Amino acid sequence: MRTVQVARRVNPHLSIDTYDPEAELMLLHFGPQHPSTHGVFRMDLTLDGEIVVKAVPHVGFLHRAVEKLCESLAYVQITPIVDKNDYVAPMTNEQALNMAFEKLLNLEVPRRARWMRTLFAELQRIASHLLWLGTFALDLGGALGGGSTVFIYCFRERELILDLFEEVTGARFHYNTHTIGGNRHDIPAGWSAKVHQALDVIASRLSEYEGMTLDNKIFVARTRGVGVLDADLALELGITGPILRACGVDHDLRRDAPFHAYNEVRVQVVTATGGDCLARAKVRLGEMRESIRLIREMVDNIPAGAINSGKPIKVPLQTKIPPGQTYVAIETPRGELGTYVISDGSQFPYRLKIRPPSLHALSALPYILPGATVSDAVAILGSLDPIMGEVDR
Amino acid sequence: MTGFLHGASYGVVIVSVLMTATALSLWFERKLAARMQSRLGPTLVGPAGLLQPLADVLKLLQKEDIVPLKADAILFNLAPPVAVVCAIGVAAAVPFSPTVVAADLDVGVLYVLAIGAITVLPVFSAGWASNNKLALLGGMRAVAQSISYEVPLVLAALVPVILAGSMRIGTIVRVQSEGHWFVVWPFFLGIPAFVIFVLAMLAEANRIPFDIPEAESELVAGVTTEYTGMKFALFYMAEYVHTLVASAVAAALFLGGWDGGPFRPGLHWMVLKTLLLFAALYWMRWTLLRFRSDQLMGLCWRWLVPSSVALVAGAAVWVVFVG
Amino acid sequence: MGYFTDGLRAMRVTLTNMLRPASTVEFPEVIRPRAERYRASFALLHDEQGDELCIGCLQCERICPSQVIAIKFGGKRESPITGKKRGYADDFLLDMSACIFCELCVQVCPTDAIVMTREAEEPAYTREDLVLTMAKLYANEKSKPRAWGDATRLMGMQELPKAPKPAPAPAAAPATSGGGTHGTGEGSG
Repeated sequence: MRTVQVARRVNPHLSIDTYDPEAELMLLHFGPQHPSTHGVFRMDLTLDGEIVVKAVPHVGFLHRAVEKLCESLAYVQITPIVDKNDYVAPMTNEQALNMAFEKLLNLEVPRRARWMRTLFAELQRIASHLLWLGTFALDLGGALGGGSTVFIYCFRERELILDLFEEVTGARFHYNTHTIGGNRHDIPAGWSAKVHQALDVIASRLSEYEGMTLDNKIFVARTRGVGVLDADLALELGITGPILRACGVDHDLRRDAPFHAYNEVRVQVVTATGGDCLARAKVRLGEMRESIRLIREMVDNIPAGAINSGKPIKVPLQTKIPPGQTYVAIETPRGELGTYVISDGSQFPYRLKIRPPSLHALSALPYILPGATVSDAVAILGSLDPIMGEVDR
Repeated sequence: MTGFLHGASYGVVIVSVLMTATALSLWFERKLAARMQSRLGPTLVGPAGLLQPLADVLKLLQKEDIVPLKADAILFNLAPPVAVVCAIGVAAAVPFSPTVVAADLDVGVLYVLAIGAITVLPVFSAGWASNNKLALLGGMRAVAQSISYEVPLVLAALVPVILAGSMRIGTIVRVQSEGHWFVVWPFFLGIPAFVIFVLAMLAEANRIPFDIPEAESELVAGVTTEYTGMKFALFYMAEYVHTLVASAVAAALFLGGWDGGPFRPGLHWMVLKTLLLFAALYWMRWTLLRFRSDQLMGLCWRWLVPSSVALVAGAAVWVVFVG
Repeated sequence: MGYFTDGLRAMRVTLTNMLRPASTVEFPEVIRPRAERYRASFALLHDEQGDELCIGCLQCERICPSQVIAIKFGGKRESPITGKKRGYADDFLLDMSACIFCELCVQVCPTDAIVMTREAEEPAYTREDLVLTMAKLYANEKSKPRAWGDATRLMGMQELPKAPKPAPAPAAAPATSGGGTHGTGEGSG
């Protein structure tokens, strides 16, 4: 279902000299220190009054040399480090990484661990989208005002999910619960009942959020027709995830290239047409409901068995992976997160590369920002949901 | 002379009560916002956090006073006190009870609207004098917004003037206390005029949903980006005072002021109505998202101005044919 | 006009939330119950006879991804309790300011000596106060509640189950405050 929405293709490398010299243009640094840039991110906006003429994004403020660091860490030590890339959905980082190692080792993950990993990923998707909704409302409504109210509500619900993770893994945020061959922590007794309770609360509050956002005319007026992204441009730039699905392209790795337990459940992919901020909001809220449905379907039927197929790590430096290279991609709340590993037979990887979905999302900014006002620029950046940790690594 | 002393002493009383009310409204707003967000709000400082505004003021007092290098120092330093003065000045003509009024001018409504209109000047000069592009953007937006929303504000304020036949606010309240409050009868004129007046007053005071000039998520602090310490505190105090006083004006013009309906009139009714309106405005602030600049302007010129013109005409027709 | 009704609807949502009880507590006077497996700080343990469990094998120091553990191996000497020769750690330093709480050190310990605790350390004014010394770690054994996981249990959770177990009845507990769980070690939930 490709959309027919054709936005004018802007030349992002527009030199200011070729613009009308009579027009007085103002260069505004939406600098790294800004309440709304979703992390340390800098945008140089050239403004004609309030309209953006040219936008140049600058990334790299959060670069921590994670990929180089991982070249000197044993395979099992890399999981807690890679947790910190997409720090809003850490379960998916760990999942992508360990799937790549398991593929190189030809390890089959036991069925229980596959279901658990899928469950955690879906719960993480809800938590990540809740955080996105809160920060998006902050961008639109202000930290001292209606936006912060939606923000606190979303975080209150997100706490329920983090509590569930705390009971399984012991950590609320950076879990280190995936390992090569399966998971490290098993589900305690009574967890599925708590999951149902948490999901009941979240599902009921979701309709409240939709009442305060999707059904709210102010929200719709701020987001409809804003930041229209052409599907062709999105595909060219490598954008995946909710942003692509909001342009009308029906592509979801969970259904099209199923991994783990996704080939045992049916994932209904949520798409929208228009490619604007409103469509992205609809897709994400729809995905939240879809995840709730999936979790409800899965959490009572977790197969029994082992959670790890490899031996539990006693002496980590001895885990050697035979030489080879592989690329494994999964569907995170932001899009396609890929891990590319080259191993040379030693206990350290030769090269570890993370393909972050947010980096590709940010590369759309020079194309879709021109023509928008400053307020729209903030809304567009919020709707792209970039996480600087994974953009810069 | 005695009249002047009379008015001046009431003025001093009103100003001190306003300042105290501002401090209390700081606490009230934070508690209200917290409860709406299922949080607790200030609890540590003083009983139930009542001394929190004092702690805030002390904190802001001891901050370094920074004037940017290339900023226009005179305008930069003058803007916050002028903003506060304009906000407080409006309260001079508002009667809080039949006797408590600083100066019940014959042109009270004109005075209130005029002094309220001046508040755009310190906001814009703060934006211009800061030598900061974000502040400049905020200042330009503030000017556009305030000037546009003057029109429906004045027109909506004309409705009670026409219905009561005088610009003196004391007379307007007296007419309401002898008859009906203007939102009760004629409600088809009073309620829309009240709503338009409140919306326009929100836009004048740069409050959500019209707080684009100090949109924190876009322009770091908008107009007040470069202000630190007590000057920042003065801007925010000016905003609170403006809201309080504008709620008092709306209560006097539309809700019957110090009239209590079937009960005895008194100062407490005015205070109660002001506080209720104030709480409703804060409730709106902590719930709604903000409009974009052009949507704001569209709302003003395409909806509020024609409706308020129609309301003025309707009020005139009403007065002529019904009395 | 739609703006008004939508605005009023949003304001009704806020009003209902105002009437709900607050979901925050006044930390640190009130600390919400942590899960059994919550990992916040560290403790070194003694065994039942009172001998130090840590044999100074340096496994935890090697596996730490952030290299926050510094151990000085004290050589093999006679244990005062059992009389047998065994290794001891002379000094054990754990830098909490760099720890990433990954629990890998707990998993690899061959004697279950290092465990995590459910209570966090107090905030400190200097960086040196954040380095846990050996005395502090042994003191944490008594002063802080232990988390559920130690090496044997963590490894046991990851091994294949020995025999099929019937699924225990799930116990219902409120999910809103993340109350303490009574998870079993076998983990067939």
